Amino acid sequence: MSLLEVNDLTVKFYTEEGVVNAVDNLSFSIDRGEKFGVVGESGAGKSVTALSVMRLIESPGHIESGEVLFNGENLLEMSDEEIRSIRGNEIAMVFQDAQTALNPVYTVGEQISETIRHHLGYDETEAKERSIQLLDTVGIPDAESRFSDYPHEFSGGMQQRAIIAMALSCDPDLLICDEPTTALDVTIETKILQEIETLADEFDTAIQLITHDLGVVADVCDRVMVMYAGKPVEKAPVEELYYDPKHPYTVGLMSSIPRIGDERERLQTIPGTMPDLVDLPSGCSFHPRCPYAEESCTRSEPALVDPETGAVATDDDEHVAACLEYTGELTDGLGYEVTVRDSSDDAEVETVAGAKASSAVDTDVPDAGGDRRD
Amino acid sequence: MRRIYESDALHRDDDPHTPNEKDTSRRVQAVRWVNSTLLSRLLLPTGIAYRAVSVDISTPNDEFAPGESVPFVVTMKNSLPTPVTIPTESLVLWTWTVDGVPEASHVPLRDPPDERGAFVFDRGERKQFHKRWDQRFKVGNDEWEAADPGTYTLGAEFNVPAADEKGLSSETIVEIRSD
Ligand code: SF4
Repeated sequence: MSLLEVNDLTVKFYTEEGVVNAVDNLSFSIDRGEKFGVVGESGAGKSVTALSVMRLIESPGHIESGEVLFNGENLLEMSDEEIRSIRGNEIAMVFQDAQTALNPVYTVGEQISETIRHHLGYDETEAKERSIQLLDTVGIPDAESRFSDYPHEFSGGMQQRAIIAMALSCDPDLLICDEPTTALDVTIETKILQEIETLADEFDTAIQLITHDLGVVADVCDRVMVMYAGKPVEKAPVEELYYDPKHPYTVGLMSSIPRIGDERERLQTIPGTMPDLVDLPSGCSFHPRCPYAEESCTRSEPALVDPETGAVATDDDEHVAACLEYTGELTDGLGYEVTVRDSSDDAEVETVAGAKASSAVDTDVPDAGGDRRD
Repeated sequence: MRRIYESDALHRDDDPHTPNEKDTSRRVQAVRWVNSTLLSRLLLPTGIAYRAVSVDISTPNDEFAPGESVPFVVTMKNSLPTPVTIPTESLVLWTWTVDGVPEASHVPLRDPPDERGAFVFDRGERKQFHKRWDQRFKVGNDEWEAADPGTYTLGAEFNVPAADEKGLSSETIVEIRSD
């Protein structure tokens, strides 16, 4: 049995502009101790997915259908009391703006101790010891004296580490990290990601890492789900996603990973922005931005299929993608290649746009740019 | 090093629809604690509320080439100097139609919770929604068909019983050319 199993989750928000299709028929599972990445741009539905798992969707949001099984029990059917005891104890969450989760008027140490006392019933001395130990584990130097510092005395990176320490303090089975390093410098980002990874191994905690940056996922995760406009468009083990991406959107995300020391002009980023989730494009939601879109892409919505056979995806399939190419409905096919270049020590993936550079369909392509933050 | 107020941490823009985020462009109308809702219900009988609010749909042109997106603007206005609330049949507050087909879909698009909604207008408020119809009809769960050349009626209406009788609907006609 998987630790977390999300089945056919659909979440909508009822706003005066219209109904926002935030998450549409989403299924995925995370095994015990597994590191699972969820990737996509803003508006892909990544955070809403995470908030649904924590049952933190509030009005005007509604979980319209689906189930979220944690250790086999449906979180969506639990009482408020039951879900509260799961949150923080068995599932913990670290947000991008975790700093705001620290209360400025209490010392960092007090806040971690309080969590430990509350959830684990430790006495004051035990909780303090455990907190110092955790601060030390997440790499806060001189943890014993920093225990009494206030949040403003910590740097951004240290605040984020303190939050991770707090999240890990109750030894959760699942740690959901929502853009945990986006607000931080690149060097601190790398360190924090390494720490999350090491800690997850040490504590045997499963990680759901949500990010807009495919590069971050490559460093940390075992398996990845790429989301677009509230739907999964590709799921694969991380190496396969890198060396053999099957969905044009994944390819677009890969092309826009910046590479240190690479002086060449960055390959094409994906033109346009995520569609309005109130009025999704017909057919494949990605068609207005897809360089390989054909007329059929505006008429049929591709299902997640096994790209080798075109058969509808099952739980057993490791690598699945949602593009009409794999059900034989494209005339010209996908025109990208992936080449693996050997740089100094790492293998590197380069994506090259194929011969068919632009779509043959008359669609509106909004201005390039978008709201990516990379 | 970046401090918190220099970072994006306080302005979370990861997902525009996270519920803990305040987004003024999409104001929540369905929550029960909106004071103006209560206020306007206390002050205004629903019949007067209906009369106070108007809706209008318009397109920039009357004719469109086949396959061309048809943009339209829905404008709603409260003519009273007091807040007005229109009680709606569900949390879907209003809808647009093509030849009477809601959101140009022959299949149900959603299954809203069994709850009534409230469309709130501030005093004298004008709301405008920009939408487009891509000249396609949804005909199955994952299938669309292009509209044939000809004339089509675009409509917008509040989600209230007999919206047209209450003056809470509007229509306009467009033509898809056959060239
Ligand atoms: S179905 Fe069409 S539009 Fe969608 S990803 Fe494949 S080629 Fe692109």
